[in-house]
Parts: sequence; C-alpha cells; structure tokens
Amino acid sequence: MKKQQTTKRPPGICIPWQEKLKELPKISGDKELVKKVWEDIDALGYMYIWQCLLSF
Amino acid sequence: MAKDMEKLYQERLKRYVTAMRNEKPDMIPIRPFVAEFTAKYAGYTCQEVTHDYEKAFTAARKCAADFDWDAVVSNMVYVWTGLTEAIGLKYYGVPGIGIPPTTGFQYIEPPEEKAFMKPDEYDQLIEDPTGFLFNVWLPRVSPDVSAMGEPTSFRNNLSFLKGGMAMLTYFNAFGKQNELLRTESGTVSAISGILKAPFDIIADKLRGYLGLVTDVYERPDKVLAACEALMPHLTHIAIGGADPDKNVPIGHWMHRGCVPFFSKDHFNKFYWPTLKPIIEEIWAHGHQVLFYAEGSWDAHLASFAELPDRSIVYHVDQGDIFKVHKALGEKFCISGGIPNWLLATGTPAEVRDYCKKVIDGVAGDGGYIMDASAIVQDDAKVENIKAMTEFTREYGAY
Repeated sequence: MKKQQTTKRPPGICIPWQEKLKELPKISGDKELVKKVWEDIDALGYMYIWQCLLSF
Repeated sequence: MAKDMEKLYQERLKRYVTAMRNEKPDMIPIRPFVAEFTAKYAGYTCQEVTHDYEKAFTAARKCAADFDWDAVVSNMVYVWTGLTEAIGLKYYGVPGIGIPPTTGFQYIEPPEEKAFMKPDEYDQLIEDPTGFLFNVWLPRVSPDVSAMGEPTSFRNNLSFLKGGMAMLTYFNAFGKQNELLRTESGTVSAISGILKAPFDIIADKLRGYLGLVTDVYERPDKVLAACEALMPHLTHIAIGGADPDKNVPIGHWMHRGCVPFFSKDHFNKFYWPTLKPIIEEIWAHGHQVLFYAEGSWDAHLASFAELPDRSIVYHVDQGDIFKVHKALGEKFCISGGIPNWLLATGTPAEVRDYCKKVIDGVAGDGGYIMDASAIVQDDAKVENIKAMTEFTREYGAY
C-alpha cells in the first residue's frame, strides 16, 4: 500500500512563503503577520485551481 | 417556532449521524440526493437552477420544507454554470446554451486525441500537480486562459478575476443556505467537502477515459506515479472542506475506476492503493467519507471491507444492495438502493413495495439511510418521491 508522498509544491500552497520572502524588502514589523496573511490568501489560489478540477 | 425547528433539526441530525455510525436510530433517516427533481417540484427549468444558484437554493429549500426529509444536499445541482462560463470552462453542455433549457447540464468528454493532458505529460503532472493544472490544464479547458508563453489578454485576466470572485461568492452562499435549511425546515446539510479518487480524476478531467485505458497498458508506471502525486492534494482538499463538527461525511464521487470500465487487476494496481490511504488519513482526522458508488462497484466490495469500521458510508446505485449489505453491513452504514427507473416509471404502490423489500433486507439492525439509487433528476414522479418518503416514515420506525 502506497503512503502519501511529499511534493515539490506542497498541498495548500501556490507560492511558498520562503520564495515570497526573498522578494520582499526587510520586514521591520511583525513578520509572522505578513507570513500568515500571505499564506492564507495564497491558499485561495490553490483552492481555486483544485476546485476547478474537482468540483466544476 | 424557531425553538421547535431547532429541536426538529437536532432530532434529525442525531438520527442521521447515528445511522451513519452504523448504529440504530429511532427511525430510518431519509436523505435523498435530489438534483433536477427540485427544479421540477419548485417550477423552475433546468436552465434556471443550473445558471442561477439562488433559484437552485430556493428549490432545494422548498423540497426540504415540503417533504419530511432528515438531510439534503444544499444544492445537488452543484455545477453553477454562471461560474463555469465566467471561467470559460468548455467541457460543459449548459442548459439553454447549446442544449435545451429543460435538459440537465452535461459533462462533455473530449475525444482521445484532444484530451486535456497529453500522454507524454505525465512527468510534468507528477513533478508539480498544482503548477501543471495552472500552466497546462487550465489553458486547455478554458479558451479564455492564455497558455504559458502566449501573450496575455483581457479575457485571460478577466477569467481569473471573475472566476475567483464568483467561486468565493458561491462557496460563501452555502453558509447562508445551510443556515436557512436549518431554521426554515429543520433540515440537515447532508455532506461537506469533496473527494475524488486519483485514478478517477485522471480519467475524468486529464487523460479522458479512453486515454487512461491506453495508459494503463502503455505507461503503467507513469499512471501509478501520477496517482501517488495527486494523493496529498486530494486529501488536503477533502479535509479542508470537511465538516468541522465531524458530523456529516465528505462526499466521494466514484466514477469509472471499477469493473467493467477497468479490470479488477487495474483496480487493485492503481485505484485502490492510491485511494485507501486517503480514506485512512481522513478517518484519522475524524471524518467519515460517503462512498457514492455510481454504477456498480460490487466487484470490489472485499477491498472496501479493508477500511476501518465506520470510516465510510457506502451508497448503492446499481449494485446489489443485499450483496453489499452482506459484504459490508457489519462495518459500514449503507444508503440508497431504490432504483431511479422505478421512481420515474413506476407507481407509488410499486415504490412502497420496493422500499419494503430494501428495508426488510438491509435495515433491520440500523445502519441504513433511505435514498434513491442515483441522483434524482427531473424524470422522477413527485408522487413516487412522496411514496418513498411516507412509506419510510410509516414502516421505518425501530
């Protein structure tokens, strides 16, 4: 029986935070806040394409 | 009044959940998956409920209010073609556009040579499924979306903008719809979230059925690797849409991975090894999965019996419900089994007789939910749906 594998672009992610972070100037404020909001919105892009495939 | 409705909702929820856990509730729950039937009952055309989801929601709520049902899908005419047209998806026959407004929406599979994924593209899919869907698949299924390397366009940009906003609008509307079902008629929203098997989705939306038939012989290792690459994503989407209260199951729509579309060996090599771990992981998170076994999956019941007790609810379409009950009834709740042809062409007396046969055969110890075999479309007679409902209430008390 096959086990779940990890993939290059993990589930739930289109553009990983670490990739985005490299494009940003130095974050002087709350880095975790920026990261959380980035990931939350990025997940909507992921949902869009997989829901297109599965539901529509 | 509102308090009474909440009491009714809680009674129905308890009844539905108890049966799904393969236990004996106070009476057999009724959970019909009614799609275009709701339009017929509410006085809408197929075009109206497919293209205007507010009308579909209204029709679903009207049925829920008028029939004594414990749970319904809040919109079983799930594909909102307003959304699919905004994105530009070309694989639908849309009621009122190309097909008659009185015909339900259709999925149109392209010929094998025009499959949305080419046979030499498995490695791209395996390497990066999400990237493949955005960069290769979406431009092929939507003429509005520019392929990688092509100039972008107004239509391309609008497809993503309108598609994204429409999808969020639609999904957010389900919250209100579920609340209205609860407060207006005390009806439970029957499922939450979506799952399709990796092997099925490759046939449905990527290689097409005929393409996949070729691939299981000519490039079996690629097929298996692609199924494995899809597994974590399909698991993620399923769990992400699941009921946070862990009451109602994730809907798993089973299409063409079974005999006779594929051989039992193919099922054992591709379909099952890449679906079973998904179900186990979902169950480990505390969610049941509804196996909506469209067609007949009777050749594979022994495989399904490998799953943990109560991890699934098994819905019977054209399978032999008595054989299913014998094979799976001690482990899982069973639903369905009332033939759609009977609901469309039979008499109320014949429907009542058939319901009695099914209840006598499979519902004695609980763990059964009354439903038609397949999704109920507008060919079902209203009097037959009433007969199924009323007989189950009269005869289905424990």
